[in-house]
Amino acid sequence: MSTDGRFTFIVAGEAGHGVRRAGNVAADLCSGMGRYVFQMDDYQSLIRGGHNFSVITSAPQPVLSQFLRADLVVALDKRSVGLHRDHLSTDGTLVYNSDAVSDAPEGAVGLPLSSLAKDYPRPDLRLGVASIVVLLVATGFSRDEAADFIRRQYARDVENNVKYGLSVYDAAVQILQGRYHLARGDAPATMLAGNEAIALGAYAGGLDMYFAYPMTPSSSILHFLAARSEDLGVVTVHPESEVAVMNMAVGAASVGARAAVGSSGGGFALMEEGFSLAGMSETPVLCILSSRPGPSTGVPTYTAQGDLGFALNQGHGEFPRIVASPGSIGEAYELAAELMGLAWAFQTPAILLTEKHLSESRMTVQLPSDLPEIPEPLMHEGSAAEYRRYENTESGVSPLRFPPSDALIKWTSYEHDESGITTEAADIIAMMQEKRLRKRKGLIEKLRRMRTVNRYGSSRNVVVTYGSTAMSVREAVAIGKLDVQVVQPVYLEPFPEWEFEQLSGSGVIVVEQSCEAQLAALLKHRTGVSVRNSITQYDGRPFDPEELAARLKEVLANG
Amino acid sequence: MDELITYAENTWCPGCGNFGILTAFTQAIERLEADGLARKDLAIVAGIGQHGKIFDYLKLNGFYALHGRSLATAQGMKLANPGLKIVVFVGDGDSYGEGVAHLVFAAKRNADLTVIVHNNGAYGLTTGQVTPTSRKGFRGPSTPRGSIEEPFNPLSLMLASGATFVARGYPVKLNHLTDLFVWAVQHEGFSVVDVLQPCVTFNNTYELYNNSVTELKVTPETFEDSMAAARRTDRLLIGVIRDVSAEPHHRQLLGDRRPAEDRRAGSDRMAAIRKTFG
Repeated sequence: MSTDGRFTFIVAGEAGHGVRRAGNVAADLCSGMGRYVFQMDDYQSLIRGGHNFSVITSAPQPVLSQFLRADLVVALDKRSVGLHRDHLSTDGTLVYNSDAVSDAPEGAVGLPLSSLAKDYPRPDLRLGVASIVVLLVATGFSRDEAADFIRRQYARDVENNVKYGLSVYDAAVQILQGRYHLARGDAPATMLAGNEAIALGAYAGGLDMYFAYPMTPSSSILHFLAARSEDLGVVTVHPESEVAVMNMAVGAASVGARAAVGSSGGGFALMEEGFSLAGMSETPVLCILSSRPGPSTGVPTYTAQGDLGFALNQGHGEFPRIVASPGSIGEAYELAAELMGLAWAFQTPAILLTEKHLSESRMTVQLPSDLPEIPEPLMHEGSAAEYRRYENTESGVSPLRFPPSDALIKWTSYEHDESGITTEAADIIAMMQEKRLRKRKGLIEKLRRMRTVNRYGSSRNVVVTYGSTAMSVREAVAIGKLDVQVVQPVYLEPFPEWEFEQLSGSGVIVVEQSCEAQLAALLKHRTGVSVRNSITQYDGRPFDPEELAARLKEVLANG
Repeated sequence: MDELITYAENTWCPGCGNFGILTAFTQAIERLEADGLARKDLAIVAGIGQHGKIFDYLKLNGFYALHGRSLATAQGMKLANPGLKIVVFVGDGDSYGEGVAHLVFAAKRNADLTVIVHNNGAYGLTTGQVTPTSRKGFRGPSTPRGSIEEPFNPLSLMLASGATFVARGYPVKLNHLTDLFVWAVQHEGFSVVDVLQPCVTFNNTYELYNNSVTELKVTPETFEDSMAAARRTDRLLIGVIRDVSAEPHHRQLLGDRRPAEDRRAGSDRMAAIRKTFG
C-alpha cells in the first residue's frame, strides 16, 4: 500500500465469472468505509470467455484514477495470473484460483475457488463472490461481518452465496486475515458512473426525452434513463437507427421538448446529417459523443480521444456548434446541464464529448445540492399574427413559439426567409447565414463570463490536457509531487482562446489519448501557445498515473 | 381554401399531379375543421423532393425535414406532443428509397401519423431518375439503358410492415382522394395513402392510370384479402385497402402524457435526483 493509504484491488477473470459485478461490489465496500473510490472496468466485447478485470483504487483522500499496480489481485483464471502477476505493489498479494492455475508465481496465494463452488448451481458465476470474500478477509472483516456483507450484496440465491463465501473465508483466513488496513475516511457516499452523471446532469438541465441506438460506450446512458423513466419522467426511445434518433430528437425539440441523443463514433457519424439539420433549422439538441478507439468499429469497449476533430467539425455547412468535454465525473454532471441550457439559449446543437474512460468508470462524486442555473430560452411574447420563426434579430436568436398556437410556426432544412419559407434569393441567403453565425458571437460573449478552463496549481510548467485524461494527469501530478500547473479546457468550440493569452509564447506539455495529438494541433492553431512536448497514448487503455508521472518527470527534466 | 395557402410562389409544372394532391388536401382540411379539428392542433412535415414544396405552399405549422427522414422527425414531434395531428408528405424516392426504414418502422410501431406519398415513379427535383416504384425498363439519367430492377409494391410493403390503414388514391379522382385523406387523418394510428401521381415531365402516367384505375368499393376484411387487393395488376385498385384499429405507439409509450407540455419543474427534478442518489 502507498504511504497515504491508497489501496488498489483488482479482480480478474473470464466474462461469465461475475467480474464486473464483483468490481461494483468491491467499490461499494470501499465507498461504504468513507473512502474515495475510482473504479475502472476493463472488459472485452464478449458475453462469455475472454479476459475481464475491474480495478478499484480507493483512499481516504480523493482519487482520480485507477492504478495499474495493485495491492491485492484476485485472479480467477490462468490468463489473469499471467496478465497481472507483474503489476503488484511492493507488499502486493496475488491470490489465484488454484483449480485453474498450476504454475503460480512465488509468494502467490492459491485457493481452490472452483472446487469450493462446484456443489452450487452456476459455479462459475459465483467466483466473483469469492473475490469479494478474499477482499473482506484481507482487509480484516470478521467471519460474521463477511457473511452479512455477502448477504446484502448478492441477494440472488443468497444462502448458497453466503455458504460458498464462508467456505472461501475459512480457506483464506489463516493466510490473509487482516493483511491490509484500510483507513476510513469521510468521502461523500455517492458513486456515479460517468454516463450516469451525464444522464442526471442533462436531466437537471431540463431533459424530457432521450433518443439513442445502442453503441458502447454510450449505451449505459440509455439503459440508465430507461430503467428510471417513470421516476424521472424522462421518455426514452430506442428506434431503428441513429439516423432516426437524431431526426426524432430534432422533431421533439421543435415542439418544445428538451431532447438529447447519444452514441459513439460510428453512430454519431450517422447522426451527422441530422446534426446539420439542427444547425440550419436552429434546433437545440444535446448530443453525447462517447469515444472508443476508431476508426470505424474500432475497439468497442476501450478508450480514446481520436474524435476531437470529428466533434469540432461535426456537420456540413457553416453554423455555430458548441463542443465541451468534462474532466471528471462530477464535472460531467454540471456540464451536461450547462450544455442543455446553452443549446436552448442559442438554438443550436451542443456536443458533450467524452470517452469510455469517463463514461464507464465510477467514482466518488459530491453532487451539487442545488439546481444548476439554466438560462430560459427566448420565447416570443408578441401577437401570434406577427410571429416569424426565423426573425432576424440583432443577436441572431429568434424567439420561440410551440404548437398548439395560432401563430404560423415553420421549421425547415432549406434556406429560408424569416417566416421559414424556402428561399433562393441572394440577399436573404446571405442575411440568414449571417444571422446564424451571429449567434456564435453571443455564445462567445456568454462563454467569456463562464468558467471554460480549469486550472490546477500555479507552476510555470504547464501541462494542457482535456476530457477524462485530465483525471489521469491530475492524479499523476499529485502522486509524483510534480511542479506542474494543469490547464484543462472544458470548452473546445468555441475555443476559449482568451484563457490562453497569458500562456502565449510559452511552451507547454500536452497530454492526450490521440495518435495524431489532436489537442496539441488545436492549441497551435487556435492560440499563441507552443507545444514543447506531446505525450500521447493510443492503445485503448487509459494512462496509468505512475507511468504518466514518470513520463512527465522525464520531459520536465529535459525542459 | 385561399387562406390555407402562403405567399410562396408555386413552381410545380402545369398539369402536375401534385396540384390534385394539394387541392384534395385543402378540401380534406376544410371538412376536418368543419368536423371539429382545430388548425392549431395540426402539423405537417415534408421530405425533400417536388412533393415537399407543399410544405411552403400550405399555411400550416410544421417541419420541412430532410430527404427520407421526415417520418423520423414527425415521430419525434408526435411523441413530444401527442396532442398534435400530424400529416407527413413524402415522395416515392424519399420514403420508399432513402428513408424506407423509417417508413417501415413507423408502420411497425403504429405511429399515429398520416403519410401521404406523392408516388410519381420518378425523381422530379433531380431531373427524372429511377425510383423504387419506377417500372422495369424506366429510362432516366442514371439508367440511360433502362432500369434493370423490378419496382416494389409499396402497398404490400406497408401491409407487411403492420400498417393499420392503407389506401391508394388518384388525383384525377379528386373527391375520392379527398375522402381518403379525411379518413386517413381520422384514423387513430399509422395511416398511409399512396397517391398515384402523374409526372408530366418525367413519367406521364395519366393515360395509363385513366385506363387502369378502378375504385375499390368495399374495404377487405382480412389481411390476405388486403394483400390480394394490393397485388392486383390487371387493374390498379384505389380506395381503402386496409383499416383496422390498434393501440397507437404514443399511447403505449406515454399513456396520456405530453412531454413537451407536461415538463417537470426544476425542483421536482432535484428531488428525483436526490431520491435516486441520496
